[in-house]
Amino acid sequence: MNILAELAGNFHIGFAALGAAIGVGLIGSKAAEATGRNPGAAGEIRNIAIILAALAEGIVFFAIYLA
Amino acid sequence: MNALYQRSQSAASSAVRIGALLSLASTSLFASDAAHAEAAHGLPTAAPKILEFVNNSMIVTWVVAALIIWGARKAMANAKEVPTGGQNFWEFLVEGLHNFLAEILGPKLVKHTFWFFATIFIFIVATNWFGLLPGVGTIGWSSHYDPASPHIFAHVERPLLRGGNADLNMTSAMSLTFFAWWIIWALRANGPVGLFKHIFAPKGKESGFMRVFMIAIFAMVGVLEVISILFRPVSLSFRLYGNVFAGETTLESMQQLVPALGWLIPIPFYFLELLVGMVQALVFMLLTSVFTLLICEQHEEHHDEKEGHAH
Repeated sequence: MNILAELAGNFHIGFAALGAAIGVGLIGSKAAEATGRNPGAAGEIRNIAIILAALAEGIVFFAIYLA
Repeated sequence: MNALYQRSQSAASSAVRIGALLSLASTSLFASDAAHAEAAHGLPTAAPKILEFVNNSMIVTWVVAALIIWGARKAMANAKEVPTGGQNFWEFLVEGLHNFLAEILGPKLVKHTFWFFATIFIFIVATNWFGLLPGVGTIGWSSHYDPASPHIFAHVERPLLRGGNADLNMTSAMSLTFFAWWIIWALRANGPVGLFKHIFAPKGKESGFMRVFMIAIFAMVGVLEVISILFRPVSLSFRLYGNVFAGETTLESMQQLVPALGWLIPIPFYFLELLVGMVQALVFMLLTSVFTLLICEQHEEHHDEKEGHAH
């Protein structure tokens, strides 16, 4: 039962990290694309991208503490 | 199977779980991990104590705060019309931050909130980068030191200094301070009734049955909004602590990877940590300022609209 619990916790963090990584990757790719289309808005796009990336990776920390 | 399940349930009763959740700063949550970490020479999740009521992260916090205050006062002691040296640096930093925040918050809001966000940013960057200096985390009390091979890095259980934000107490304190100020700013901008309306009242101009429907929906949305607001200080503190602590652990593990090459392998990760320290300070400042903007902005727009109608 202990091993099972530990395994479940590890998978919990693993999947959270996987999801957050995909999310941050999507944000990054779209931010780069958006900057390419509209270089004038680079500063604003960077701010939005940083905030969204932070929110996406925040999930991993919740997973680490709750696993 | 059923009996096993029940036994494990009683062992970890719900009260214990809630207690563990609330005392995240203590090592109790990672009790099982701590044993593994001890074997693998990892870092403890809570900052070790140096004296009673004083842990090593607190020392770093004080040193950094003293350095910032001393540096700023010394640079601005005899301020000149045309700045040079230290004065130039501080003016560049504060002016850059002010322009950056004015762009996000707008000229009105930035006037009475700038001090907080600028302080938070400068302090977090300074603390994160101070934690990367040689000697932080590597000078202290160790039981692994082997006099026969002094060139091999020994794991230090109680370092004298540890990155200030690698202590959940510090990041919680900062995010709770922000939360208190966020409430004050929200009340100042909206008033108690306005704040309640901002969260629970429906937006839009439906009438009749749709109006009742929208009121019900926005009341539910308001409940969700309150939960997300209450989780903000938690996620803010976890994010900063998690990033800085993970960085410290990475550096420590890289140092242990090949004992003879302990001086070489962590170097690329130091550059990563420089970047992370900067980005996390930026993220903390951006998120707090955007949260403030979200609650204060509506009111200012209404204000402008009313003024527009009056003219």
